[in-house]
Amino acid sequence: MSFTSLASAWLFALLIPIVVFYFLKLKRPRIEIPSLVLWRQVLSDQRVNSPFQRFKRHLLLLLQLLLLALLVLAAMQPFLHRGGDRGDRQVILLDVSASMAALDREGGRARLDEAREKTRAVIDNLLPAQELSLIAFSRHARRLTAFTDNRRDLRAALDALEVEDVPSDLEEALRTAQALARSASFDKVLLLSDGNFPAQANFELPFAIDFQRLTPAGPNLGITALEARRTLGGKWTVFLQIDASAPGDGASGTVELRQDGAVVARENVVPGKAGGQRLSFTLASESAAAVHVALRPTGFDALASDNDAWLRLPAARALRVYAPPGLASYRHALATLAGVNLFPSDTAPLPPAFDLVISDAAADLALPAPVRCGIGLIPDDVRPLLTVEPRASTAIDWRRDSPLLQHVSLADVLFTDEAASAPAIDDARYAALGYEILAHSARGPLILTRTDDTAQRVNVLLHTDRSTLPYRVGFPIFAANLVQAALQRAGLATADAPRTGVLPALALQPGATYRVESPVGISRLQQRSETADDRGQLTGLPAPRVGEYVITGAGADGLRSGVSLLSPSETALTAVESIQFNDRLTVNAATAATRTDRPLWWPLAAAGFALLLIEWWWFQRRISPTNSSGNLSRPGNANPSPMTVPTTVRGTPAPGTLVTRPP
Amino acid sequence: MNAPQLTSLLSNRDLDRLARLRLNVSRRFTNRGRGEHLAAKGGTSTEFCDYRDYTPGDDVRFVDWNIFARTERPYLKQFHHEEERHVALLVDASRSMMFEGKLELARRAAAALGVVALRGNEKVSAATLGSVAGEARLASCRGRPGHTKLFGFLENIAGGGAAPVEQGIESFLRQHHGRGTAIVISDFLTAGDLRRAFNLLHSAGLEIFALQILGPTELAPELTDDHRLVDCETLGQLDISSTGDLLALYHEHRAAHEAELAALCRQRSGRFLAVSAAESLERVVFDLMRRRGWLV
Repeated sequence: MSFTSLASAWLFALLIPIVVFYFLKLKRPRIEIPSLVLWRQVLSDQRVNSPFQRFKRHLLLLLQLLLLALLVLAAMQPFLHRGGDRGDRQVILLDVSASMAALDREGGRARLDEAREKTRAVIDNLLPAQELSLIAFSRHARRLTAFTDNRRDLRAALDALEVEDVPSDLEEALRTAQALARSASFDKVLLLSDGNFPAQANFELPFAIDFQRLTPAGPNLGITALEARRTLGGKWTVFLQIDASAPGDGASGTVELRQDGAVVARENVVPGKAGGQRLSFTLASESAAAVHVALRPTGFDALASDNDAWLRLPAARALRVYAPPGLASYRHALATLAGVNLFPSDTAPLPPAFDLVISDAAADLALPAPVRCGIGLIPDDVRPLLTVEPRASTAIDWRRDSPLLQHVSLADVLFTDEAASAPAIDDARYAALGYEILAHSARGPLILTRTDDTAQRVNVLLHTDRSTLPYRVGFPIFAANLVQAALQRAGLATADAPRTGVLPALALQPGATYRVESPVGISRLQQRSETADDRGQLTGLPAPRVGEYVITGAGADGLRSGVSLLSPSETALTAVESIQFNDRLTVNAATAATRTDRPLWWPLAAAGFALLLIEWWWFQRRISPTNSSGNLSRPGNANPSPMTVPTTVRGTPAPGTLVTRPP
Repeated sequence: MNAPQLTSLLSNRDLDRLARLRLNVSRRFTNRGRGEHLAAKGGTSTEFCDYRDYTPGDDVRFVDWNIFARTERPYLKQFHHEEERHVALLVDASRSMMFEGKLELARRAAAALGVVALRGNEKVSAATLGSVAGEARLASCRGRPGHTKLFGFLENIAGGGAAPVEQGIESFLRQHHGRGTAIVISDFLTAGDLRRAFNLLHSAGLEIFALQILGPTELAPELTDDHRLVDCETLGQLDISSTGDLLALYHEHRAAHEAELAALCRQRSGRFLAVSAAESLERVVFDLMRRRGWLV
């Protein structure tokens, strides 16, 4: 046992004035009585029967001294050292990822509740000189409190914690703790998690860490993948993956597929030992449709957030492609593709926007389109890096794994010009400008592409009409790859279910303000207002919980956008035994409770209070004459009869004697 | 019209009720003077007792001649012998009796018992024990004239002495003559040897009737803090702290003291009664004493 505030021991000096004042105060009032005979016998008997009579004569003083000693000991802040590493400052990393909502059994408690309980125990046992800082992490980490010893703030921050339906990122949490160490040094990091993160952490540990792994959760069944692909005939094939945390344990359930609220399919699922179960459904939908997949496990299911997934299918339409009449080779290649409306057209006016623009005129590339391909055009920002020289050249290498050059062979393709990089210009300069080089000639890049959030631009630096490419079999494939990229951008070919974290970008009215309502159950981001940017894109909306977010505003009356967990790792509820860090340091998980120092001031204070009550009771109690049964009793309980059977001498009856009692 | 009170100690109604009571003695401690109590030996009273064979030397006046005529054998008639008893009233008038009306109750109880004795044709004397004016004595008296003397004596008792009760008893016995009953009224709170005093009374032919009178605070003291107790007679001091076991011990010792007094009286064929000073005389005399066999 040690003391936090040993300096408070000087309060023991207060014992001296108590003793002095006690004996100064001890002026007894004189009472004249008929005789001292009985009282002398009483005191004599009392001294004989009580070996501690000397002490009992000053019992009040002794109780007062004991009470003061207890209070001084409490003021010295004693604590019981229980063997744990004791630090003045400690950081607690609290995992709030989706798996922390998993229950251990039917009607049990969530992992986060267990972590909250352990953290509360640490807060309760906080010594006066100790401070805590709470950091919650899921995909991102956020500091809940700075280093503080204010238990109220710590408890309030702890109570406000909520699970976020996203996978956890331990490295992010460790980096946040490391950043915290730059402003305020600390001694130890306590990690409270279920261990559902990668066992390898790309992080060099600069501090001691205590990994407290929580109790494993129960069995779980959940949706881990959901996507749709358009098939011929304007139908959609929905692919679904169901995984179980313990494959082969007989977990089963029912999958229900709803299209715009109506149930269109239902199927039972029983994931096998080999892995999860894949399901596919075919939906006929020419217009946009909302798909909701609901998994209803038959038995206990630890995690509820992975039982629902949402998918939005776009409306079917033809791809709008612009290619000027001068690019006859491209128009010829595109005309053979199904589902493509080629512009300019004699039968249809130009639409306000295109899905793909292929042109050798710089002005055409200004047309709005998510995918634009410049033929023989050098972007302005690349122009200082290279020159085009009238010299024959060939492609010496290209990215065969790129979707744009998939199945496209550039071998033996001869260009009449050559793009040559300026001296001392390497590929890194192009990368610095955001370009990816898809094909190289001998002295410089041949095809560049740059992709941002909303658009992709492909630049074939040399004009293909002055090459042998249009005569190769790969040319229509290249045109088809451009169309496929445009289909992907337009969302006409596939549709992926958006995951939690950030809401997918929504195309709304530019500059308009929208009210975003989160799913029920999250209070921190329940309702908020967001404004669309100049392009009408509403992006970057946080979506930490699974469910449908309702967007209301100009042009979007009750627009729903659902996000799903779709995380195989969170559904599997795996728990690592140890964490391997970069510096080959391994931290093993501990399941036993953290042994923290236990403060003892409050038991001492409680004992002092109890002593005060005992002292009060002892000196206030009244002993009345013995009643008829020979027991001592209070006056109110005495036998009201004035005549009683004679009392006893140490329990011996005295027959033949009548004792009367005052009224 | 109400008759005037004969004494301030007893009401006229109490006097009438007392006239129908007698002291219930168990030992035949009598004097030679004629009285109404049967002596232990045979006598010449008018109350027939038994017959016995005549032996030479017997007084022929007691031969039953009628039986002699029928049986021609002389039989002698025997008669009870009735003698008087001496009732001594010993009232403790020390300072300890000045508390909470103990002396007042003692005076009235002595008056009541004295009236009972006088109405029973007993010889009654009285004395004070430990009085501030020394030992006062009332010479033997009997009959109705003795009422006035007894009341006057009891009414004029001056309390406040410091002599213990056992010394007063011994002093009384030095001048006392006569067998009978000694009624000792006191609180018996003395450190002396009461056994010796009671032995002296018993050997003097006095049956002991001990009446202990204690005040309410002596029966149930209430102490809430530290006190310094002062003995009113000896002026001795004693510091006590009000603790629960102390009061419990007090009650045990008080009960033990009463039991010891009762045993002293019982071993000498006497009677003992402990009453509170707060009790009324009517309850003490007409209820407690009758039920405990003091009076019949």
